[in-house]
Amino acid sequence: MQKEAEPLIRLEGVSRAFRSGEVEVAAVSDVELTIAVGDYLSIAGPSGSGKSTLLHLVGLLDRPTAGRYWFEGEDVSSIPEGRRNALRAGRIGFVFQAFYLLAHRSVLENVMLATVYNNIAKRDRASVAKTALEKVGLGHRIDFHPSRLSGGERQRVAIARAVVTRPALLLCDEPTGNLDSVTSESILELFEELRTDGLTLVVVTHDPVVSAHARRTVHMRDGRLDQ
Amino acid sequence: MTTPRTRVGFTDLGAEALAGLFARPGRTLLTVLGTVLGITALVATLGVAETAGHQIVESFDELAATSVVVTSDLGFFGNAPRVPIPWDAEDRLGRLNGVIAAGSMGNVDIGAALTRSVPVIDPIGQTEFQVQMIAASPGLLPAVRGELATGRWFDRGHSERADQVAVLGAGAARRLNVVRVDHQPVVFVGDESFVVIGILAEVERQPELLNALVVPEGTARRLYDLVSPSTVQIDTEIGAASLIASQAAIALSPNDPSLLRVQKPPEPAELRRNVERDVNALFVILGGVSLLVGAIGIANVTLVSVLERMGEIGLRRALGAGRRHIAYQFLLESTWMGLVGGVIGASIGILVVVVVSAVRTWTPVLDLNIPLLAPLLGGVTGLLAGLYPAIRASRLEPIEALRLGG
Repeated sequence: MQKEAEPLIRLEGVSRAFRSGEVEVAAVSDVELTIAVGDYLSIAGPSGSGKSTLLHLVGLLDRPTAGRYWFEGEDVSSIPEGRRNALRAGRIGFVFQAFYLLAHRSVLENVMLATVYNNIAKRDRASVAKTALEKVGLGHRIDFHPSRLSGGERQRVAIARAVVTRPALLLCDEPTGNLDSVTSESILELFEELRTDGLTLVVVTHDPVVSAHARRTVHMRDGRLDQ
Repeated sequence: MTTPRTRVGFTDLGAEALAGLFARPGRTLLTVLGTVLGITALVATLGVAETAGHQIVESFDELAATSVVVTSDLGFFGNAPRVPIPWDAEDRLGRLNGVIAAGSMGNVDIGAALTRSVPVIDPIGQTEFQVQMIAASPGLLPAVRGELATGRWFDRGHSERADQVAVLGAGAARRLNVVRVDHQPVVFVGDESFVVIGILAEVERQPELLNALVVPEGTARRLYDLVSPSTVQIDTEIGAASLIASQAAIALSPNDPSLLRVQKPPEPAELRRNVERDVNALFVILGGVSLLVGAIGIANVTLVSVLERMGEIGLRRALGAGRRHIAYQFLLESTWMGLVGGVIGASIGILVVVVVSAVRTWTPVLDLNIPLLAPLLGGVTGLLAGLYPAIRASRLEPIEALRLGG
């Protein structure tokens, strides 16, 4: 399945099983997947098919129970926790369906939160956060609190927070799940822009409209990938 | 490319923790209240106890506790004693168990007579003075715990023979310019002459003796018709003062003991001290309990906030925070709360000590370490209270946190 010499992501026989009492449930089993730098991949499938679990594995939020995983050529299947944290802080950005904005902080402070864990010098944090917000089209909202923003604007803040550290990979878990179709469209356009900047995107969705924007789509069913 | 492991500065974590607290200021304040009360109770208790203790130490004085003074009631017009103190007061009291020494004394009316020492005519200096004459019994010197600078005190023989001898108080001796007694200096009071046999250096009771010319009672009776002593000074053993006070009047005037006035030292506060110690222990326990309640409050609220902020925890982990960063953040939040509670509590506690002292006109006394240690104690309380919630927060798997907090 290798397309290039140095893909961003390479999964070989990756499985993730959850233990529930005596029974072991395989959420993801035996996944082979390669994602090239600059790719825009959509993982589609019904809920419960294991696509979110796969995204968490790719995003180093979870460890596979079997198989191997190379990220930027580094075998990350069994690296220590600290290294995984650092990769999440520096190389991977996340966008979630539920935004996860801190209600008591301004838009700018929410974006700056990502810089705390990324060794960005204190004096530069505000300016890089501002740049990221301008990129997502929210330069005029930096002092607002999330409660005063629309859903689409909130997701834009979350995207700005994900890309402020200039990651290589942006992982999106149902990014338009809470948005109407018009707003969704604008978010998808923003993804397109980010991709042309060189970002690799992986989007998990059950919405065919979202999948249609991706360069390629893989389908998941019962924890298995059929491409 | 390799990225070093996530490093988060302590100031960053502290700022994140503070931001977490200020996100819900009302709740934070209420949470801090428990610690405030605990620290206030502790500081106030320790401070008031220390202040009161100091007060007791100040009032407990061995000299005062062993002194009983009996004076004859001089009646409504103050001219004649209604019950005279007998001349053998010293002997009567000396028989009581617990009396170390007893002596009687009385002012002698010498009219307008002036006192002068040897007839050296000094044209410039004043040579004649008005000096109070006091008649004293031989036992008075030990009873007032007096010390002689030189010479001797008179004895029973001087009194019985009505010898014209005198002991000068230090002040009187200075004025009369008498410094030595070995050449038997003579002082003149009016027309009478007295041989100075000693000079008093110091007395711990009845300080008027120091400015007086002290003569034996027998001499005062013969020369000046002294009716009776007016005051009896008793030196008792420690703890015997109350007993002696109740017996002295009867011993001196079996018929009318109530007509003699007895001054005894205040009750030696033993009971009061016990009570205060009990109260003290009670309040320290109370302070400890409310501190514990405060700690439980902080633990509780921190735990609730961990549960509430699952999403935030998950997000922070996704942004690269390690477990320990999450733990530190919540630990710092609870420590901040404890520390702030400690500072506020210590301040209020000190205020309470000052107010209590002001009301009772005491000097507030407070160990300097208390205002420094109290906030620290609050911080430690917060730290301990935050341990469990912080560990809970750090143990959360990021995906679990994101799922539960979504």
